[in-house]
Amino acid sequence: MPKLCFYFQLHQPYRLADVSVLDVGTDAFSYFDLQQQDDNKKIFMKVAEKSYRPMLSLLLQLTKQYWDFYFTFSISGVFLEQALAYAPDVVDLLQKLSKTGQVEFLAETYYHSLASLYSPKEFAYQVQEHERLLYKHLNIRPSAFRNTELIFSNEIAQLVEDMGYVGMLTEGVDRYLWGRKRTVPYAAKTKDRLPVLLKHAQLSDDVAFRFSEKSWSAWPLTVEQYLEWIQVYSEDEIVNLFMDFETFGEHQWEDTGIFTFFADFVTAFRSKKWNSFITPTQVFTPVCDRKIKKKCLDKAKLDTYDVPDPISWADVDRDITAWRDNAYQLDTLRIMYELEEEVLSSHNTQLISDWRRLQTSDHFYYMCTKWAADGDVHAYFSPYENPHEAYRRFTIALADLTERLQ
Amino acid sequence: MKNNSVFMIGWEYPPHNSGGLGVACQGLTQALASDTTIQFALPYHYESTVDHMSMMSCVDPRWEKKLGTKVLYPPFASYSSEGIIRSFLSVSDSLSSEKLRMLPNSELEQRVQEYSQVIASRSNKIMQNSDLVHAHDWMSFPAARKVKEKTGKPFIAHVHSTEYDRAGLNQGNQYISSVEYEGMMAADRVIAVSYYTKSLLVNTYGIDAHKIDVVHNGALQPEVAPDPGRHHFAQKRPVIVFMGRLTLHKGVQYFIQLAKQVVVRVPNALFVVAGSGDMYHELLLTSAEQALSASVVFSGFVRSTQRDKLLDRADVFVMPSISEPFGLVAVEAAQRHTPVIISKNAGVSEVMKGAIALDFWDVDKMAESIQKLIEDPEYSQKVVQNQFTDIQQITWDNAATKVKQSYIKALLGR
Repeated sequence: MPKLCFYFQLHQPYRLADVSVLDVGTDAFSYFDLQQQDDNKKIFMKVAEKSYRPMLSLLLQLTKQYWDFYFTFSISGVFLEQALAYAPDVVDLLQKLSKTGQVEFLAETYYHSLASLYSPKEFAYQVQEHERLLYKHLNIRPSAFRNTELIFSNEIAQLVEDMGYVGMLTEGVDRYLWGRKRTVPYAAKTKDRLPVLLKHAQLSDDVAFRFSEKSWSAWPLTVEQYLEWIQVYSEDEIVNLFMDFETFGEHQWEDTGIFTFFADFVTAFRSKKWNSFITPTQVFTPVCDRKIKKKCLDKAKLDTYDVPDPISWADVDRDITAWRDNAYQLDTLRIMYELEEEVLSSHNTQLISDWRRLQTSDHFYYMCTKWAADGDVHAYFSPYENPHEAYRRFTIALADLTERLQ
Repeated sequence: MKNNSVFMIGWEYPPHNSGGLGVACQGLTQALASDTTIQFALPYHYESTVDHMSMMSCVDPRWEKKLGTKVLYPPFASYSSEGIIRSFLSVSDSLSSEKLRMLPNSELEQRVQEYSQVIASRSNKIMQNSDLVHAHDWMSFPAARKVKEKTGKPFIAHVHSTEYDRAGLNQGNQYISSVEYEGMMAADRVIAVSYYTKSLLVNTYGIDAHKIDVVHNGALQPEVAPDPGRHHFAQKRPVIVFMGRLTLHKGVQYFIQLAKQVVVRVPNALFVVAGSGDMYHELLLTSAEQALSASVVFSGFVRSTQRDKLLDRADVFVMPSISEPFGLVAVEAAQRHTPVIISKNAGVSEVMKGAIALDFWDVDKMAESIQKLIEDPEYSQKVVQNQFTDIQQITWDNAATKVKQSYIKALLGR
């Protein structure tokens, strides 16, 4: 009879347009190609149709139906920007959801960037900018944090703690858990022992990745089966199901039955006594009943999740090699953050905005040259023909950026 | 009344040319046509109009059967893969010279033999009105040999590039080099496009030096007038350009090394690699490994307007070829007022003395020269002017005059 914590990630990068070298340093182009008929719009509209609209509507319906259905969103700033530009009705749905009081919105970096790995100052700025955006459009002030792709380390946790968040989300990685449960809160190795929730990779990926995989032994996944797997956890445990929002309708198409599965699952789960939905902030800062002391989160009693090297929720190794591994990625990232001071001191808003949009982690993900199973996942998500093209386009954007700095 | 009548055997001709061969055939025949009657054979149906000579399609009927449609392209792309050239060996795919070298010899051999048979079967009729046969590069040599055997007319073997050049001074494809060798041995005269190529023919192929005439290629005047200057793009930083196939023998790997050295001295220099080829991914990776991601950009293959614009904009053009029979693109850069650094192993250095010729491997010297050209506008202007004087002589009329001298030698030698 565990508690269930659903968190869905909403994000869309600005993909780079195929800009000619011969346009470097001219005002003739934007690498994000924000014209009427651009790829970013096309992709956003496609996903909106297949996933954002139907799933947001479903979630809204479920919150209305069940007062005790709680879940969590994290929405990147670049997602919200594009939604405002291309599909304002998606923002309307988000606003309606925020008004229900049953949805928690997490803090993250506006640009879905890797700034936490390179520049604490830039990281803090982007988190603040994201907060401003959430407040402006959704009237939300987030209290818990999730970093890009759940990237986490002791150092990053300290940055998050210093910014005043009550806790954060990350991946439960075996090499740092040493057999301990991933269904209880941990304390990060920070000054004030920042509480963290760990993703239940197995159960999350059963839905996010394996749901429609016919070669999987559990296919087709039934609500009863899934419930059975979840029910093995006890009342004081939390099963953290963290996944891409696009799981619903985009990665798993409507015809796989994913929407029905989700609705039926929510109904079935809450119908069992003692089961409940919970959001991260409810875990991190519960209403404390001093008399029975039952609900209080005693940080001192939490086990430490000591992560010296950055982890993430990506790929088989759950490390950061999806974004920072080969020479393409290392060199472009190096240059991006070496430019920080120069870019910021230019006081050129357009230039600064372009530089920040180029920080979006997806640009580096597309440059990944790892093969095997992870390579397939990368290829699925990449708009470009191959990692080389992702790098080539990025260098042209860099050449333009540096030209404008001259 | 025209002086000579010549039967030329080619392989490609604009607009379907894969590299320099078609362009050279066009320039040369246009200049020759004023007083020479030319019949020009191609291994495909030539559907554009040419009025300075008569085109002759020598298509093997079996090819059309295999292809299932009319043959409108050469059976395989002879050289570069820049631009799209189809081939019916692999219709869906363009064939680069690298892939070409990997094809079974039998496949190449067969197409070349079939072409030669088609021509041989018509040779008596063709040669009734022709004084000699002039064949361009190895794909045409077997056909020319057959014509010579059948009719006794002299055979001129014109060497635009050799297998050794294309393989970066390595052995390359032995079948191709043996066809080149046998063709040149059977020929009455051999025309080499540079002294550089001549010495390669003498020293590597063992061809008799007395039999070889050097005829440097010409260059047409640019179709669009040059518009030199920084205004095109990247106005605030020096731009150094490489343009050519991204293969070993073009020395493009030295261009990246060069970038590494130059950015130490001129941090804002921008290096543009224009072209496509089998080394593309390797070059991208090297560039990233050398921390040059903001200094080296790859434009991919560029054509017409973009090509002109890039050469107009370039502050320095570099051609670090390991082996380059001629190197027309260096002349094109000079036409567009760009100072040129060329490899000493490039035929064009013999006629463009005003350009800076260096050893392709001498990255230090090249880097020094680039820096000087960037930082000393007067020096750069001087180089540009000297080059400009040189290129006035690089014409197809001059080339045609020399080719006709070869014809006379061949005819008198009989």
